[in-house]
Amino acid sequence: MSIFSKLYHKIDERFQINDLISFMKKKEVPLYRGTIWYYFGGITLLLFIIQVVTGILLLLYYKGSADIAFESVQFISAKVKFGWLIRSIHSWSANLMVLAAFIHMFSVFFTKAYRKPRELSWYSGFILLVLAMGFGFTGYLLPWNELSLFATKVGTDITKTIPFVGEYIMNILRGGEEVTGATLSRFFGFHVALLPGIFIFFLAAHLIFIQRQGMAAPEDWDEMSDKKKINIPFFPNFMMRDLLIWLIIINVLSILAVFFPWELGKKAEELAPAPAGIKPEWYFLFMFQTLKLIPAKLSVIDGEVFGVMMFGLAGLFWFLIPFWDRKTPRGKKWYWINYLGIFVIIFILVFTIIGFIT
Amino acid sequence: MAEDNFFQEKQTRRDFLNYILGFSFFALLSAVLYPIFLYLKPPKAQEVDVSNLKIAKTTEIENGSSKMFKIGNKPGILIRTNEGEFKAFSAVCTHLDCTVQYKKDENLIWCACHNGRYDLNGKNISGPPPAPLTPYNITVQKDEIFVSK
Amino acid sequence: MDNFIKKIIINHGHISYLCLTVLLFLIPASILSQETVSKDNCLNCHLILDGKFKQPAVLFSSDIHFKKGITCSACHGGDSKSDDQDKAMNKAAGFIGIPHGQQVLKICSKCHANEFNNFVKSVHGQSNTGNGTIINNCVTCHGIHNIVPVKSPSSKVNGLNIVKTCTGCHSNASYMRTYNPGISVDQLEKYKTSVHGQRIFNGDSKVANCASCHGNHDIKNVKDPQSRVYVTNVPSTCNKCHGDANYMKEYNIPTDQYEKYKSSVHGIALLEKGDKNAPSCNKCHGDHGAAPPEVESITKVCGTCHALNEQMFQESPHKDAFQKKNIHDCAACHSNHGISKTSDEMIGNGEKSFCIKCHANQDKGIQVAITMKSYIDSLLKEVNLASYLINKAEQKGMDVSDAKFDSNDIKKVLITTRNVIHYSNLEKFTGSINEGFNITNKAKITGEESIKDYYVRRIGLGVSTILITIICVALYFKLRKIEKKRT
Repeated sequence: MSIFSKLYHKIDERFQINDLISFMKKKEVPLYRGTIWYYFGGITLLLFIIQVVTGILLLLYYKGSADIAFESVQFISAKVKFGWLIRSIHSWSANLMVLAAFIHMFSVFFTKAYRKPRELSWYSGFILLVLAMGFGFTGYLLPWNELSLFATKVGTDITKTIPFVGEYIMNILRGGEEVTGATLSRFFGFHVALLPGIFIFFLAAHLIFIQRQGMAAPEDWDEMSDKKKINIPFFPNFMMRDLLIWLIIINVLSILAVFFPWELGKKAEELAPAPAGIKPEWYFLFMFQTLKLIPAKLSVIDGEVFGVMMFGLAGLFWFLIPFWDRKTPRGKKWYWINYLGIFVIIFILVFTIIGFIT
Repeated sequence: MAEDNFFQEKQTRRDFLNYILGFSFFALLSAVLYPIFLYLKPPKAQEVDVSNLKIAKTTEIENGSSKMFKIGNKPGILIRTNEGEFKAFSAVCTHLDCTVQYKKDENLIWCACHNGRYDLNGKNISGPPPAPLTPYNITVQKDEIFVSK
Repeated sequence: MDNFIKKIIINHGHISYLCLTVLLFLIPASILSQETVSKDNCLNCHLILDGKFKQPAVLFSSDIHFKKGITCSACHGGDSKSDDQDKAMNKAAGFIGIPHGQQVLKICSKCHANEFNNFVKSVHGQSNTGNGTIINNCVTCHGIHNIVPVKSPSSKVNGLNIVKTCTGCHSNASYMRTYNPGISVDQLEKYKTSVHGQRIFNGDSKVANCASCHGNHDIKNVKDPQSRVYVTNVPSTCNKCHGDANYMKEYNIPTDQYEKYKSSVHGIALLEKGDKNAPSCNKCHGDHGAAPPEVESITKVCGTCHALNEQMFQESPHKDAFQKKNIHDCAACHSNHGISKTSDEMIGNGEKSFCIKCHANQDKGIQVAITMKSYIDSLLKEVNLASYLINKAEQKGMDVSDAKFDSNDIKKVLITTRNVIHYSNLEKFTGSINEGFNITNKAKITGEESIKDYYVRRIGLGVSTILITIICVALYFKLRKIEKKRT
């Protein structure tokens, strides 16, 4: 009919796109109360793509060296046309991405979508979340402002409490004993080269898994009558819904970027006294707050060491959930794993809120 | 790819919706690309490079003259002494933050506000300034003068 | 008297008769008849010796220490009770002969501990020229053997005498050079020209001498913050006398200088803000040559710091007018000790204006003053407006660092313009203030444009929001159609 059809036909001739489309058409997505949770993976992906695009754009002007990092960010947001927008979107999108990833993870957790055969999706997803937090932690320092410098000092200091290897890890992270210009260079490297490299690998795996295995149906899907079971094809129906939500997210993002441009703060000075109210990024806040509340000494063990070890164990436990929770006994809707999930959410919420208030 | 699929289905009823969709997609795309294209074009102002600010050429400045430059948000002053030596200082008077200037006839740095005087090492020698001017480092590469904090 | 000699013979029977005979014949009756004859055998012996051996004994008999019953051995050691020279001046028994340097201090400090403690911490007690050796000791100022109470007119450290005592060293250039080549030695010359000096040489012992300002045993280097003449301590040091209405009564001069100075712009700068460049009393009055500045010299005195203002004033029409009327130039408007911080209210025809002191309501001078005031007021208004706009733009998240950089100069313009007022010349004034208007205009434009840009951003957002909404609605309908078809 048109140029586009001809073009499409020519490409199809060579790459068999129709096969791909028919594969995607065949793939079905269950439509029910919980379908909304399926979108969060896609939202996270969109935000990651935005991060990559804006990140590359920022890279054109950013300079990762302590004496000019701050000035170069200032230059981006003041002198470069729409630099303020790119930077603001990068910052906002980063935070929304971590938030979306958290929601995505908990939705998978409560729908038990991590069970066989999707254990690897869970493992790779967990690693992606940790990497995303790593992106956040390293990216936070890059503008080299007062708050980020001290947040990084506190953040990297915690690694010191890890038994045996803590000192070594801290030195690796900081590029020395203290948080200095060397730390900035390292974090810049982690942020734009090391982490993206690892991230892309796990992301590709994660996406291939979902395409191979399709969306996980809810627990009681098999028991439902066929009448109630509604499936929609992944393409184009679900994809269009995804698109709709992506557009809304893009709009929300631009509203946030225009109305609440990300502040730059004061340039960091290594010798300046710590400013009041240093807080890490909000997604580290619950850990930060918990460590603060643990008493300094717990009988023989150091409070902070204990806290870090507990978080390490809890993380490992959470990571290995598909291993602990292989099968639900039939007919038992509530299982200890749900209580655990609710407890974790409440714990994170409460300590994040305490962290914000104090 | 969504569009590709639509083209295959030949239903005239849908055309209107498709046109709207196609048109607004392109409009949105340009709304996204417009800032990006502008962003890519480097601004006229010199890029920040505080560690090595190029401020002048040696040929521009005669012996016994000066040139003002901007370092960060503050003015700086570059002086070439009668002996041909380059010196650079923050041009912010330590008394009340006025901008100082080079006085050729007296061969010193002078603040017009309260007649504060500094020698060519930046040391406050008379008048109200309580402290010397902050000196900057100077490096000369070929015929270009760089200043760093 | 006879009893005394008898006692000697009885108590000291071993003394050779020859000696006793000589003693009896040689001691002049005049001395013997006085109370001065003591049990101090050192004195007794030395009085009958000659020349340099006799002199100390003669001098000592009028010394305050002698009168208080202190014997030679208190300082020189040895046994003053013994009339045997070998015993009395036995080094093994502690006789030290003539005490030198540190020894003097040690001896005096046995009784005068407080003075000693002050002295060792003073500039004289802590020479930095030779491994901590002292520059002088007690006897340098107080003398030897003829020390009298400080209050006695013949004391070396009383009134006018102390000026001579101090200048004995301090006016000696070649001597002072050995300690501090940079030190000035003209204090006495200056002092002679000061009001203090002139009065003291005419016999007025109430006026300040060296010790009144510098202290006595505890004299510190002028750069030592503990020194009474350290720049921040000068006002209170002067005020000890000049603020005492009773003490100053006979001189008929005001005693409120310190109170006025304390609240003046100079006093606040020096005493509260610790700005050591701010003038204390001596910057205007002189230190050793302290005297009130004359009418002609007042501009020059102020001009040592306020050079620009002085120069401008010299060129102003006020210069001649003030001279004719014998008005103190600077002080006419700014007063002297109680100079208050300048404000824009000091010009024009307002209540606090200086101009209305001389100028009548409608003369040309007051018109110029009113014009200048209105210019300054309108510039300030513009400055406020510009900084309001820039701040507003900054609050809206716009970057205005360039505009802020440009407005750095507004401060300079305001300061120089306020200085230029001293020309009392409208043309020069407007020339200076116009630069300020130019800068503020530029800043205003930047501020306004930044604020405009802020709204442009919102319009851009609005456009893309509308676009996204349209696409969303269209997508929604399309999706509905697709799903209808399926079911």
